[in-house]
Amino acid sequence: MKNLFLLLFSISLFSSSQVIAQDSGDRIIGIWEPSNGKARVKIEKIGTRYYGKIVWLKEPNDPETGKPKVDKNNPDEKLQNVPIKGYRLLKDFAFKSGDEWDGGTIYDPENGSTYDCVITMKDNNTLDIRGFIGISAFGRTDVWKRLQTQKK
Amino acid sequence: MRKTWLFILFTCPFLAIAQPDSTAEEDYSQYDNLDFADVGAKRFCTSKVLDLSPQKLISIGYDFQGPYQLQEDGGSKTDFDYSHGERLQLNLPVVSRNNIIIQAGLNYAAQRYAGSADTNAVLGRNLLDKGLTTLGLNLTIFKPLNEKNFMLFQGSSDLNGDYNFGNFLSPSYLKYSAALVYGWKKHERLMYGFGVSRTYRVGEMNYIPVFLYNYTAPNRKWGAEVLFPARAHYRRTFSSRSLLLLGYELEGQSYRMTSDSIYSYINRGANPAGTTPMNNPELRRGELRIRAVYEKSLKNFIWISAQVGFRYNYSFNVDEVPSGDFFRGFFGTQTYGMENVLGNTFYSMISINLVSP
Repeated sequence: MKNLFLLLFSISLFSSSQVIAQDSGDRIIGIWEPSNGKARVKIEKIGTRYYGKIVWLKEPNDPETGKPKVDKNNPDEKLQNVPIKGYRLLKDFAFKSGDEWDGGTIYDPENGSTYDCVITMKDNNTLDIRGFIGISAFGRTDVWKRLQTQKK
Repeated sequence: MRKTWLFILFTCPFLAIAQPDSTAEEDYSQYDNLDFADVGAKRFCTSKVLDLSPQKLISIGYDFQGPYQLQEDGGSKTDFDYSHGERLQLNLPVVSRNNIIIQAGLNYAAQRYAGSADTNAVLGRNLLDKGLTTLGLNLTIFKPLNEKNFMLFQGSSDLNGDYNFGNFLSPSYLKYSAALVYGWKKHERLMYGFGVSRTYRVGEMNYIPVFLYNYTAPNRKWGAEVLFPARAHYRRTFSSRSLLLLGYELEGQSYRMTSDSIYSYINRGANPAGTTPMNNPELRRGELRIRAVYEKSLKNFIWISAQVGFRYNYSFNVDEVPSGDFFRGFFGTQTYGMENVLGNTFYSMISINLVSP
């Protein structure tokens, strides 16, 4: 019985540290603006992973059609009519430790490409989003800024 | 009681992890009126316009030129059956921030010649024997000043000559080029700027104004990519994964020739032509490549680039450059050591590229 108690206590301790880690990972949740200012992305948590979807577009309509922009550059033809607004461009990020979330991907609707991605929180209001191909050296970092409701 | 405590201790962490799935439809208007949480944060313009041809992180290419003739000062001829060579480019982002982008690169280009030369065609024989090699490092800095204005700096140092890796050229022969542009980013489809450059694109050192113009039409089917006078292209975009460029590029360098038997014709009156060996001769090679370039994604980030065109010679003269370099410009009166005539020809180039995100 004593051994069982120790086992459960250990599991509990491990799980508790996970909770602390998860809470720390939740700092990334919020609304963010990529450097080009053309979109706003809401990062949220689903299960234990973090996702980011486009919730605002500077230019919501396609100038050619006058209709809401769709993901026409997607290499999968079946997805080319999916609206850009609401699209999940950040997927499957796990909180690693410290200020880093990794294991995810970022999708660029401008060219229909998906890149490996690591997110680093530089400070509470700044994210370095590094999309790369295979290894981090072959990549580009975009700096995202946190947004909040306008102060009145 | 103990069982109850165990249950609570064991299950609480998992309850804490559970989060609602927020995939339900939401009111997007709530995101219209937002400000930066960081009061001091600024927005900066980006370095590209929409649909710009993809930037190459790694490029491995092969260049081929058809037959042409070199007629040297003094009349000796060399008939090149073809010339060809490998090209390698490596560009890596060193710093990538909203307020500055710094990129470093490596450039290698070889030009080998095949054909036959007259006995006295010293330059032609030297090219057939040794070819030309360029090895260079470059740096690009994009500095946005705000949402509308930016500065662009490009600098490179190149070692050009008839050397190879077994018989390397002294770094003292490095040639330095640079360009500085001040520009405006009007919107996501248009950026332009004006600046100055020190360049060897016409073969010899020159200081010239430059004009940057990158544009994409509202229908995103065509655009222009211009860094005048270095290059200018009309771009036809077929999709986000294939495009066609029509235009030209100026290509050139000043190549240190290590041969002792390249003679000067500069003092035609005082000395018999072609009998005085030049002290540090440099081949001023500059050419205009009028071309069509088709670029297409083969798979994800691997792109192929195939170009065909006409190579028009601008300069293939030789200067004596005993120390440093000198400025002749378009209106200088300094006489060339050798004034040569190079024929024009068609060319083609193909490259496989890893393109940047």
